[in-house]
Amino acid sequence: MEQTHESADLIRLKVHGVLADPNTETQIVILRDENNADILPIWVGTAEGNAIRLALEGIVTPRPMSHDLIRSFAEHLNIKVSRVVVTDVKNNTYYASIHLVSEESERLVDSRPSDAIALALRTHSPIYVTADVLKQRGGGNLDAWLEKLDTKNFGKYEV
Amino acid sequence: MITQMKVRGLMFDPYNNAYIVILRDEERSDMLPIWVGKSEASSISFALEAIATPRPMTHDLMKSVLDTVDAKVISVVVTDMKDNTYYSKIHLMYEDSEYSIDSRPSDAIALALRTNAPIFASEEVIRKQASEELDQWLENLKPEDFGKYES
Repeated sequence: MEQTHESADLIRLKVHGVLADPNTETQIVILRDENNADILPIWVGTAEGNAIRLALEGIVTPRPMSHDLIRSFAEHLNIKVSRVVVTDVKNNTYYASIHLVSEESERLVDSRPSDAIALALRTHSPIYVTADVLKQRGGGNLDAWLEKLDTKNFGKYEV
Repeated sequence: MITQMKVRGLMFDPYNNAYIVILRDEERSDMLPIWVGKSEASSISFALEAIATPRPMTHDLMKSVLDTVDAKVISVVVTDMKDNTYYSKIHLMYEDSEYSIDSRPSDAIALALRTNAPIFASEEVIRKQASEELDQWLENLKPEDFGKYES
């Protein structure tokens, strides 16, 4: 299987919104491709969901939140977040890489997708997913979950 | 003047439904309680108890970003308190230059514990800390509230 993550294997995603999952204490980040053909929901914790929601809504908090601090480190040290990539999914856990460019060399940092997305939104960096992960996403669980979702939840939480 | 502080514990504050990080100086004569949110408290408790999570938490990522470019956390300093909000600075060394970055104390402490960087508080902050108010508050706390934090 082709494992290199060349651009051709990557699909660019936009953060469509953050939903509260009424069945659990978690939140769901809804990522969609640019043609709205594919959807990738990623379950995240409450704090992580809030960090993403604040960035989506452009809310500036009185004090810097954790991901604002990471952006501040990057700005001070002249490091650019060139992109973030959701690279893998194993046992319902998603993996992501944050691509950092410093002095013309690119370095990858392992992260949870929630942190990667929260940072990407703050640094205006593109978010990608590998074609392979998108193929494996959700499946039966997703359909079952979507059926349970009351449509009013969308209106209430969607950004 | 700054005083080096150690994280002495983490408590649940049932009255404010928040968590308190207790900082004390080496002689244990000064105490600085800092109110933090739930996720910040659990991040600090993971570091205090050296619990490795299966996936990197936000402050692990923070450290990892700094490690990747060889930036070092020299120290963190709780610098000020205004309207019950604490302010702190994270001092970084990167390519022979020092950077001082504004942060919440909760982030600074969570990062300091992961990078073994010393934590300081300014004399001013310690002085400003209304000790009478704190004593009163501590008296109201029941023993069972101690050690109630989540890990």
